[in-house]
Amino acid sequence: MLRFALNRALSAGLMLLVVGTVVFSILFLVPGDPAELLLSSDGITASPDAIASLREEMGLNKPLLAQYGEFLVNALRFDFGVSLIDKASVGDTIATRLPRTIELILAGLVLAALTGIPAGTYAGLRPGRRFDRIASAVNAVLISLPGFVIGTLFIYIFAQFLRWLPAGGYTSFFTDPWLHIKQLTLPAITVGLHLFSIIFRMTRASVLEMRGNDWVRTAVAKGLSRKLVVRRHVLRNALGPVITVVGLQMGILLGSTVLIEFIYNWPGLSGYLVTAVQQRDYPSVRGVILVVSALFILINLMVELLYSMLDPRIRLE
Amino acid sequence: MKSKRFSIPGRMVLPTVLLTLFVGTMFIAPLIFTFDATKIAVSERLAGPSWAHPLGQDGFGRDRLARVLYGGQVSLTVAFVASLIALAIGTFVGLIGAYFRGPFEFIAMRVSDVVLYFPPILLALLVVTIFGPGVTTLVAVLALLFFPSFSRIAYSETMRVSVLDFVEASRALGTAPSRIVARTVLPNIMGPILVQFSLTAAACITVESGLSFLGLGVVPPAPSWGQMIRSARTYMEQDPFGIFVPCAALFLAIYAINLFVDRLRDVLDPKGQLEGKDAVSATKDGAGTPELGEGNVAELRALTLTLDRGADLPPVDLVKDVSMALRANQNTALVGESGSGKSLTALALMGLLPSGIQPTSGQIAVGRKAGTPVDLASLAPHAAEQVRGNDIAMIFQEPMTSLNPVLRIGFQMTEALQAHSDIDRAEAREKSIAALQSVGIPEAASRFDAYPHELSGGMRQRVMIAMALLAEPKVLIADEPTTALDVTIQAEIMDLLRDLRSSHGSGLSMLFISHNLGIVADIADWVVVMYSGEVVEEGPTDQILRDPHHPYTRALLESMPSAHEDLHSAKGDRLDTIKGTPPLPHLRPSGCSSRDRCPMAQPVCATIHPDLYRATSGTRAARCLFAPEAPEHLIQKEAV
Amino acid sequence: MPEKLVEVVNLSKSYQSAKKGLFRKSRIPVLRNVDLQIAPGEILGLVGESGSGKSTLGKAVLKLIDADEGDIVFDGQNLGGLTTSQLRARRKDMQIIFQDPYASLDPRKTVRAALSEALETHGLYTGDAQEPRLEALMKMVGLSAEFLGRLPHEFSGGQRQRIGIARALAVEPRFIVADEAVSALDVSIQAQVLNLLADLRRDTGVAMLFISHDLSVVRFISDRVMVLYLGRVMEVGPANDVHFAPAHPYTAALVSAEPSLKPKGERIGLKGEIPSPMNPPSGCVFRSRCPFAIGACDEKIPELRLIGQGRYKACIRDDILKGAE
Repeated sequence: MLRFALNRALSAGLMLLVVGTVVFSILFLVPGDPAELLLSSDGITASPDAIASLREEMGLNKPLLAQYGEFLVNALRFDFGVSLIDKASVGDTIATRLPRTIELILAGLVLAALTGIPAGTYAGLRPGRRFDRIASAVNAVLISLPGFVIGTLFIYIFAQFLRWLPAGGYTSFFTDPWLHIKQLTLPAITVGLHLFSIIFRMTRASVLEMRGNDWVRTAVAKGLSRKLVVRRHVLRNALGPVITVVGLQMGILLGSTVLIEFIYNWPGLSGYLVTAVQQRDYPSVRGVILVVSALFILINLMVELLYSMLDPRIRLE
Repeated sequence: MKSKRFSIPGRMVLPTVLLTLFVGTMFIAPLIFTFDATKIAVSERLAGPSWAHPLGQDGFGRDRLARVLYGGQVSLTVAFVASLIALAIGTFVGLIGAYFRGPFEFIAMRVSDVVLYFPPILLALLVVTIFGPGVTTLVAVLALLFFPSFSRIAYSETMRVSVLDFVEASRALGTAPSRIVARTVLPNIMGPILVQFSLTAAACITVESGLSFLGLGVVPPAPSWGQMIRSARTYMEQDPFGIFVPCAALFLAIYAINLFVDRLRDVLDPKGQLEGKDAVSATKDGAGTPELGEGNVAELRALTLTLDRGADLPPVDLVKDVSMALRANQNTALVGESGSGKSLTALALMGLLPSGIQPTSGQIAVGRKAGTPVDLASLAPHAAEQVRGNDIAMIFQEPMTSLNPVLRIGFQMTEALQAHSDIDRAEAREKSIAALQSVGIPEAASRFDAYPHELSGGMRQRVMIAMALLAEPKVLIADEPTTALDVTIQAEIMDLLRDLRSSHGSGLSMLFISHNLGIVADIADWVVVMYSGEVVEEGPTDQILRDPHHPYTRALLESMPSAHEDLHSAKGDRLDTIKGTPPLPHLRPSGCSSRDRCPMAQPVCATIHPDLYRATSGTRAARCLFAPEAPEHLIQKEAV
Repeated sequence: MPEKLVEVVNLSKSYQSAKKGLFRKSRIPVLRNVDLQIAPGEILGLVGESGSGKSTLGKAVLKLIDADEGDIVFDGQNLGGLTTSQLRARRKDMQIIFQDPYASLDPRKTVRAALSEALETHGLYTGDAQEPRLEALMKMVGLSAEFLGRLPHEFSGGQRQRIGIARALAVEPRFIVADEAVSALDVSIQAQVLNLLADLRRDTGVAMLFISHDLSVVRFISDRVMVLYLGRVMEVGPANDVHFAPAHPYTAALVSAEPSLKPKGERIGLKGEIPSPMNPPSGCVFRSRCPFAIGACDEKIPELRLIGQGRYKACIRDDILKGAE
């Protein structure tokens, strides 16, 4: 088990290095001068002075290999340079904003898992029955609604029309816990709905598949109660694939969270990212993407370890 | 059966129509009517629906219907083109990687992996930062984002298909690799790729609209749904309709595609549908107390099992009028070819019939250690749980899948014990280890803590046997327990099963199911032969094997090479065979169901469906008009 | 020894083991130093349990997989020296029939397409000659020519197996590998297909390597039998001799373990389980399970030696299983 864990951690580390390299080199893969490229828009070229000062600022005058080494070493120290716009430290900004993004995703994940797994199990055990048909139909609708559409509609319905909850904004939990929770509710549900549809769908499919296995028949033949058969021989086995899929979906989720944060004015990483992209603030964009990708890789590492605890066969592969 | 290659399957009609209609509207309506999506009329800003503007006007007074339609064109075109590029690149990369292996494989898969390790929207944003927004950038980004999913699928599907025998057969024929890839592999992986294409198109629409919503995708003045939602947000309070229209369009597009994918998947791979196996569903409640004959531990009386084939097809009897008695301390063998109904009969006894198959007449009775006999196929779930594993137990054909791979063997054994008695952990463990020892498992204590995959097939089957006998049942059903095992292991398991009766404290009756008459010879006291859902012959094992009365039983024996050690193909000898194949249950011939394969069949066999005629001595029975047991008047009457 | 159509010399093959971690890789040997000869028109039976390497040997003989070392000589020509396109042309003479009648036919190709692929590849029976040839092939395997337009799912397992045989016969091969060709069939259908194969050998003079785990089937159909265990040849000899008077303890154990209608003598039990091919026993690979093993068995690998008319065994003990002599 320890060996397996070390092995997976090592390959996650390698993956991080590759991601870092790609993020670093993408700017140089484009023909032309990176500084000129970043400053030009709609065919209008920037002044040579501006380009020269940007080159200096981003260290583009140093040899490529030196830049690469410096970039990697700095990234390890959580130093991603300074913003081109306000000269603030990118690392510091990320450190302030990242916890808010994680809070939002965790809240959504907990909501989705708490509802999706039981609902998916129930539907998967009784396919074609009324609950399954209704839940599957609702789910087909949910899965077809992009997060920012749900968010926009939610704001209209719950904030504008019903006026139950604030349309957005952020207050620190320590300043006003109640307001914090009210402001968290809509964004968390929006994030959670999308995840719910994936968890529901996967749990249902997995349970449906697992319940037909020979060992389930063995368990019934042993005289185990229905509850135990489902819990130990269906659900236990079904959770592995569900966790894997959720892990892979995290990538998409991290992306759609950008939009959701934007809609609700949730000051996580994404508002920062969107502004940075709009202003073509390359160091900021690079920093955020590096951190979020690292987060994604770490999540998948945890998923793999979790899966291997659920299924001993995984450790052999 | 007629080939259905060129028609659209029923389940695909609705989504196809929906999708065609939707896409058609986007592209054809602007050709018929003249719309202007960019004409600004500030005086009519946020005007409601009117004849000229059926969906009203937006914040600049532009026609909303036109903007939705043109926006749709842009969204759908971007999605389609990007998906197509992703499909072409991804499929090519995956196909080459999997079919030619080696360095191709490494490069193809690693490149895909790297892309997959970036959250999609973020990678898109990174590219947009460098190149600036715009439709071309968008298509390139989407193709880059989604080609890895195609290469992964193409890769794994090609790996799956290229080891299939028919691809190997093409290689053995000397067919050129390019032709094999194009004509044999590609058509067989197209299904999943098509599914992925639709999924990708839906995902592209989502990402595109999301980016446009942020103002980083399709740039104004070109319309797009994401952009429309973005600008309508500003006037949300005055004009909620402005938000609903593009939201609805976006939703409908994705929904139509998703529906299409779902149905396509069902049609291509029917496995996931409701007909799947199910061992968990509760059985129906009811049934009185069945009776059990003197000296019998379990009994079937005139049992008929019927498969419900849905509303369109009539139900069909898979097992017909089967009677069978398991006598105390006796081994009964149930023999037949695949499709004869032998396994279903056993499952009915256990109350484990697959969903869709029901007993429609007859009686099932299983004796209990204490108390009255029960019918497991119709007993209430809770009551049935107390009988299964306790009074009657079963082992299955596939030892590799019959144990739960994620639970330790010891846990699976003790949970069986604990289901039927109040026994503490330590005692259950002790009993289980003793049971493992008694079925010949060395180092039982350490195997107790092992996972199933750490044991060989033979050992797992021993575990299954030990587990089945833990609660000391009176009846053990063994469904082809050695078929999946090697011959030397098979012999060992057969030895074990044969010795069970004497070693099992309170006596044991076994129902041994097999397709092989040879294997039952030295385990069974009594043989029941089934063909096409019916019992065709039964009697004491030695008598049946020495002198079969039913032509089918005889033919089964004759066609076994092991029964003819004097024959050899080099001398020009042939095995006696039965012509043809067993009939499908809904296509049984009239009269005797084996007559069209029978060398002795007479015209009368087509008119009379023979009963299972029993000898006056009461031991043997055969379902044939010409068997010694059959009353003579039957044939004579018809012959006149 | 009569003239040889197929000759395999000192063939060895190993597979890469499943990856265990990033860097550690090891190879699992499946075939070790196998020799065999098949005469024109001869059926050589190949017997062994799972893990014996019999299917690998069948595919290696046809060069469908590449061996690590050793030569395959077909009709005097060493196949190892051929280019890929020469080998593809050579495949006209050597064909294969598979075990699983459901996997061996492309679900998307009609019988006609499957059979004509074979003809077109080698430019046989082109143009107007094609249809009569397809009909003749169908007749040869006992199927109606009307079935040519049908797809595989419209056939039963036995019929599919006949189509697979027709595909192999289409190019008029001189040698066929039948890889468990009757194992998946019910006993009554199995007998039909066995008779068909025996007839085809008689009528066309095709030689076969008949692979099966079923000793009785192999005895009935084969002229000679070869027994494999953990990738090594244990015994070779005329089919009836090997079956009725096995010379190697492993063959004797296999024969005695076979289910039979007639009561048999004492079964020769084996000890323990098949060892992992990753670390097989030293000396004789069978010694860990052999009831007759002695101290000397672990010293060196016993060679396959002549013990009688056309009979060979790889066992150092001559004082056991006297029935063989």
